[in-house]
Amino acid sequence: MAGSARDERALVRGAQRGSVSDLEALFRHHWPRAYRAAYLVVHDSAAAEDIAQEAFLAAVRALDRFDRRRPFGPWLHRIVVNRAIDWSRARTLRREAGEAGLELAAAAAPPDNPHARTLAAALAELSPEHRAVIVLRHLLEYTPGEIAELTGLPRGTVNSRLRRGLDHLASRLGEDVR
Amino acid sequence: MTRWQEPAPGEPDAGDRTWHVVRRAYEQRLPAPRERSWRPFVAIAAGAAIVAAALSPPGLAVWGSLRDAVRGAPNAKPALFSLPTPRSRLLVNSAEGAWVVQSDGSKRLLDGYRNASWSPHGLYLTAVHGDELRALEPNGNVHWSIGRAGLASPRWSSQGHGDERVAYLAGSTLRVVGGDGRGDRALARHVSHVVPAWRPQTHVLAYLNGAGRLIVRNADSGAVQWTAALAQRPGALEWSGDGRYLLARGPSSLTVFGSTGTPRLSPISPGAAPIVDAAFQPLNDALAFVQHAGSRSIVWFYPRLTPDGTAARRVIAVAGVFDRVAWSPDARWLLLSWRSADEWLFIRSASVRKVVPVAGIADAFGPAAVPTGWCCP
Repeated sequence: MAGSARDERALVRGAQRGSVSDLEALFRHHWPRAYRAAYLVVHDSAAAEDIAQEAFLAAVRALDRFDRRRPFGPWLHRIVVNRAIDWSRARTLRREAGEAGLELAAAAAPPDNPHARTLAAALAELSPEHRAVIVLRHLLEYTPGEIAELTGLPRGTVNSRLRRGLDHLASRLGEDVR
Repeated sequence: MTRWQEPAPGEPDAGDRTWHVVRRAYEQRLPAPRERSWRPFVAIAAGAAIVAAALSPPGLAVWGSLRDAVRGAPNAKPALFSLPTPRSRLLVNSAEGAWVVQSDGSKRLLDGYRNASWSPHGLYLTAVHGDELRALEPNGNVHWSIGRAGLASPRWSSQGHGDERVAYLAGSTLRVVGGDGRGDRALARHVSHVVPAWRPQTHVLAYLNGAGRLIVRNADSGAVQWTAALAQRPGALEWSGDGRYLLARGPSSLTVFGSTGTPRLSPISPGAAPIVDAAFQPLNDALAFVQHAGSRSIVWFYPRLTPDGTAARRVIAVAGVFDRVAWSPDARWLLLSWRSADEWLFIRSASVRKVVPVAGIADAFGPAAVPTGWCCP
């Protein structure tokens, strides 16, 4: 498991030296959050799989150049979230071109848990940019400063998107969200 | 707010599928060379034991599955008796001159020539002799010559209808002359010393300017069609046989452009292990290339160019140095120059159906012998 930063550095070093088991440990540790982050931004399981897979392939391609002093997660999540936003924007354009029916047919079923389903539906009503900062803050648990760094947005923009997104979720979920 | 704690729909299955893809990509990648440690010596010792068995006559037959060796094959042919492709000719540049090898193994030295390359149908050569650029027949009869200082890298266009051009470097000036030796003119000044590449079936030429920028230009009109900056200064440029792609090979990168300059893909990015040579398969866009990492050389083959670079197949790996890869004109054989073993390997297809090792290359062709053109489609 890549529980601590030291463990993660050791796994990255092992993967750089050719250890498949270390690479798999890294993958298994980071896959759930990468996939969920993509899913909560794009709301399409096939697209989420593509996006998360593409991020891991990018990681493999860049493995030899990766600076082990840097944490692996933020680097991966930056790719995931930015590609998920791009995908959502492209979908919006495709919808305007009348391809919504195809996408709905391609998307997987929503989550079984009623609460998760409500949360996913409320998130879906936000713009991709708002969804992304909510996901980064509340799923991946980055601070607003870290989100600003990951997304290249001003800190104030991150805060305002968080506030607006949370206000919307609060109105839909009926609970205090901070 | 409520945290999302449960798996997203499809998460476990998608994770399993993706792990297989990621693992495959990981296994196909080649790590950059690292500082020397004791491990390579243990690996070499172990490899030597394997090779002793593998290169016995029955062992050679299964070389395709072993694909690892330390030294040259002990049962290699002592000399190049023939080429595996009938009616083909091989051009070899060495310190002694240019050699033309016929398919029956007979060969002729064009004494004192350097930088030789074939005309499109193999009827002529262009090469540098002293301070002269010459066009000559493979038997040595000279058809025309031009005297200039600093001559290098002549390349014949392959327009295919007899109206050919020869591009060459004179110092840092890129010049173009007609295939009949007329109309010699400067096309660009202050260019890099990289061999220019003609786009097949055209008079369009790719070269590097002095700043290392890739320029693609019509040699007749002088019109620049497109330019591109590259992350690494390329050491070689090559068009695919169908003219659809242009490959720029950097010290540790491969960048492929579409014919209109659109970057198509970078299957190998700066930071990878050094890339020694690369060659498109004739008449299509499959690509073979050689990487050198630590003490090993590995030949890779892309049956097709895909964006994520995961389609590369390993053809063969050896201890030592492969310094050149070339395709036979019928695209069925790969020729690998195994410099450190003083051997060539003829490999039947990228699936390694057969390996024909030939020893004694330096004795046959002189020092620094490099196969530079297997002619002709």
